[in-house]
Amino acid sequence: MKQIKRMLRMHRIFVAQEFKRMMEYKGDFVVGIIGFLLGQFFNMLFLWIIFSQIPSLMGWSLKQVVFIYGFSLIPKGLDHLLFDNLWAIGHFTVRKGDFDKYLTRPINTLFHVMVEKLQIDALGELIMGVALICITLPSLSIEWSFIKILLAILVIPFATLIYTGIKIATSAIAFWTKRSGNITYMFYMVNDFAKYPVTIYNNVVRSIITYIIPFAFTAFYPANYILTGENPLFNIGLTVVISLIIMTIGVLIWNRGIKAYESAGS
Amino acid sequence: MKKKLRIYLPFVNAGMQETTTYRANWIFFMIGNVLACFVSYFIWKAVFLSGDSNSMNGFTMPQMVVYIFLMFLTSTLISSGGTYDIGEEIRDGSISMRIIKPISYNSTFLFQELGNKFMTICILIVPMVIGVEVVRTVLIGSVQFNIFGFLLYILSCVFAYLINFFFNICFGFVAFIIKYLWGANMMKNCIVGFLSGATIPLAFLPDTLEQIFLLLPFASLNYTPVMIYMGMYSGLFLLYYLGLQMFWALFFWGLSKLLWRVSLKHLSVQGG
Repeated sequence: MKQIKRMLRMHRIFVAQEFKRMMEYKGDFVVGIIGFLLGQFFNMLFLWIIFSQIPSLMGWSLKQVVFIYGFSLIPKGLDHLLFDNLWAIGHFTVRKGDFDKYLTRPINTLFHVMVEKLQIDALGELIMGVALICITLPSLSIEWSFIKILLAILVIPFATLIYTGIKIATSAIAFWTKRSGNITYMFYMVNDFAKYPVTIYNNVVRSIITYIIPFAFTAFYPANYILTGENPLFNIGLTVVISLIIMTIGVLIWNRGIKAYESAGS
Repeated sequence: MKKKLRIYLPFVNAGMQETTTYRANWIFFMIGNVLACFVSYFIWKAVFLSGDSNSMNGFTMPQMVVYIFLMFLTSTLISSGGTYDIGEEIRDGSISMRIIKPISYNSTFLFQELGNKFMTICILIVPMVIGVEVVRTVLIGSVQFNIFGFLLYILSCVFAYLINFFFNICFGFVAFIIKYLWGANMMKNCIVGFLSGATIPLAFLPDTLEQIFLLLPFASLNYTPVMIYMGMYSGLFLLYYLGLQMFWALFFWGLSKLLWRVSLKHLSVQGG
């Protein structure tokens, strides 16, 4: 308990520090947010143009597709906002020998890396995600119940942890190879599959994004539950289970990696 | 000429070594990008299955497949990291090392990147082109490959690369003034991605918009080479689009020279 309290206090200090840094570079952070908003905007334009040519995408309406897309941005944006610093580990922190600094401090390395930075650019994704959900939700005629609302909110942190876990596991590879940023990148590209209804893919792709690199649980399956109310056990239950498994694997790889780590020197 | 070559050859070499050192990293990056192609492939497949005609805005499904993968090949071939490199060098101050040397600032980047690119071309272009051609032959039922078209495609890619290179240099010089580039670079990539047809073929846009976009330099980047490869442009049109590419390459070359003069006055190395 005492330790958790200490960690929370640390987190506050890091966040405060981060805000000071942001105020120093105000321009950057506005440009960053606009950049992410713009990226999502063009994707929406793409969907809109496509749907102007066809009545529905294999049975999915534009609104449903946009809703799934919007939902996918929430866990992605949250992970991006809170734990973006993990990207840096695989890209350059280890390679440049800067990782040593984490080892000299009396806090858990993984915790320290995760909370050190706050990536405000991610607000671009979060704003867009919330906006897309708010725009599409009223006209989707979804049946709401107390349980459904509860599950819909509950599933978001778990979906976020799927991202975080995969990021921890792939960045930790850098402890052996010095550089693993592009492995993380490769996994993130798989995540693009999950933004759209998985029924448009063939069985191979569908199995991969469900069972091997389970990004489908960050977006499509939870969103599908909200849309249809079907299979809460699979759509929500499995999301929770998978996110816990992925996080465990991530932490295990990280801890082994720390033991294997040899500084890159300078 | 010979002397010039001797000066810049080490930069080509350095670029090649850079890529070979982090081979594995590069391969993962490429796999990631190919995966993104497959996402588009499945979306378009679903789109064509959901529509009621075989062709959409002049594209059939086999053509769309060729378009998606050629778009990827072309953007990889013509990619240029000038923006980011200049931004980084300004931030860490190492730009001063380039400035004090009696060689052209732009050329050092160009030659270093050509070294980088050499590896990409060797590893990527042959399997990609063979892959695209096999798919095309199977889907359409007859051999579509045309060596003349392919050579024109390469020529068009060279122009496209030059446009991209000088455009990115111009954009990079903005760093001299705003000093931070990551967000701006992302914005640029989104806009260029859309205007150059990487997100969706320009033929899918409303007519007037398509005509305007075709005139802009961005269509000259990816869209023109891909259209040439696919045999969508012929005769006078072909000459017109190649000419347009040439014009934009010269335009950005000139602009980069001008910006170099202006921004040198603004340079303040942070912590250099």
